Amino acid sequence: MKNSLIIFRKEIKEVIRNKNIWLPILIITIMFSIIMPLIISLVSGSIFEDEDTIKFMTKVFGDVEDPEKVFIGFIIKQFLIFLLMIPAMVPSLIAPASILMEKENNTLEPLLGTPIRTRELLFGKALTAMIPAFVISTINFLILTLVLDVTIYIKMGYIPLPTVEWLIVALILSPILSFLLTMISVIVSSKSTDIRSAQGIGTVIIFPIYLIIGLQIAGFFLINITYLLLACLVFLIFCPILLRIAVRIFDRENILTRWKMKA
Amino acid sequence: MITVENLTKEFKTVTAVENISFNIDYGEIFSFLGPNGAGKTTTIRMLSTLIGPTSGTIRIDGRDPKNDGAYIRSIIGLLTESPGLYEKISAYENLNFFSSFYDMPADKRTSNIEKYLKMFGLWERRDDLAGTYSKGMKQKLALSRALIHDPKILFLDEPTAGLDPASAHMVRNFIKNLKEEQVTVFLCTHNLTEASSLSDRVCFIKRKIIRIASLAELQDHGRNKRIKIIFKDNAERYRTVLEKMEGISGMEIKDNTLSIFVEEPEKSNPVIISELVKNNIDILYVNEIKASLEDIYLELIRDEGTR
Repeated sequence: MKNSLIIFRKEIKEVIRNKNIWLPILIITIMFSIIMPLIISLVSGSIFEDEDTIKFMTKVFGDVEDPEKVFIGFIIKQFLIFLLMIPAMVPSLIAPASILMEKENNTLEPLLGTPIRTRELLFGKALTAMIPAFVISTINFLILTLVLDVTIYIKMGYIPLPTVEWLIVALILSPILSFLLTMISVIVSSKSTDIRSAQGIGTVIIFPIYLIIGLQIAGFFLINITYLLLACLVFLIFCPILLRIAVRIFDRENILTRWKMKA
Repeated sequence: MITVENLTKEFKTVTAVENISFNIDYGEIFSFLGPNGAGKTTTIRMLSTLIGPTSGTIRIDGRDPKNDGAYIRSIIGLLTESPGLYEKISAYENLNFFSSFYDMPADKRTSNIEKYLKMFGLWERRDDLAGTYSKGMKQKLALSRALIHDPKILFLDEPTAGLDPASAHMVRNFIKNLKEEQVTVFLCTHNLTEASSLSDRVCFIKRKIIRIASLAELQDHGRNKRIKIIFKDNAERYRTVLEKMEGISGMEIKDNTLSIFVEEPEKSNPVIISELVKNNIDILYVNEIKASLEDIYLELIRDEGTR
């Protein structure tokens, strides 16, 4: 554990110094946690002055007592999915950078020549990706909750968050997703020599999230507690499988003889 | 200190090292010599517990790398072929980071970092990013890293590569002095002058071990004993006289210089000289030449290639 923390401390300093990692995270956080909810909250009143919108809302939700409240609930479900972008994105930006920098500088051999064990190295690298993902997701969750609660309270006089779905995403699904993405990034990074292409995994993972948002807007389905718990279960099944693959890849001999290294 | 028995390492389609055995004593400087791809780095990686052997046994300080890898890595210092430094952190931070993995008190760590940075002339630039260092400075920093925890065994892969002559001289002196502290040094180098000036024994390897001996033993062997004679005129004229003499195993002639290979110089030299004088041959210069490690290396590797 001590050795993993040594790795973690060094890596986190490097992450803080590397604006290529934290700048996209900062932009996404500001966009999805502050700007977008503010815009939507501000314009939501005018949406219901448009006849076509009311027709569309009725088509999607049926005849409801308070369409504006239903609409807010619908929007919150969209943001729920946005919350997953951070735990998906952060590990897929940090883990490849951390592993591929080692390859680029040929530091893996001298590092493995110290008393550190490979599982401690893997754990240290995983912490470097997962702890920022958890911290940033939580901050993101708190900011978004605060922004939506304040603006909706001012406009409509009630506090909609947090909901049970919201808490499942923030406290269960996000950590599971960041663990999965960390393991996937470790596996992809071992086969890659280029940071950018390894980080591309984040883009690939974010795409299904956009798809879910699109399908929700199109009215195909609505995220609910059952769907979320089901997603947690499916992801949990994948966790030990991916961990096993990552541990096998993070074998001393594998790293030095089979990993694709920079010439 | 290091015992290797019948060690073999096979990769998918290649046998990198085949059935090698040797022992290295405490405080010995042991050089591993061989062409590229001979299995030197693979052997270092096996000895430093980075990779496991396909077969055979290794004991480092009496311990088996399979079971005591972390202990073995705690008593060895490893200088890899490439310096392998974190370029985006400072030299001081590099040493501080690597030294954190060893069980040493914080003040000892700090004093060792200072000691080696000063020794290698890097102290003034300790806060500069390692990436801004020149090739030679990086090599010195990597060497400092290998020494930072005062290891009992040092594995050095090309320690003076990239260093200027003065720095290389300083590093060689430092390695020599390690002997007094009973540090065992396993040296891989293509610099044969360096190997001959530092090593207690050298090991020639080309997948298998070709020979292990001290430099004196190697020079004392067969064709390695040579006499150089410079005549007043072309040496070719005396070939017939020399060919009749006993104890000469071979000769090379170039203009008025003759190199002859003798089995027992103490016995043959006086006979050869007196025979030449008897034949009224004018001799300008006679000298016994000890073969250099380079001569021996080239001969052994060539012989191995023709087998």
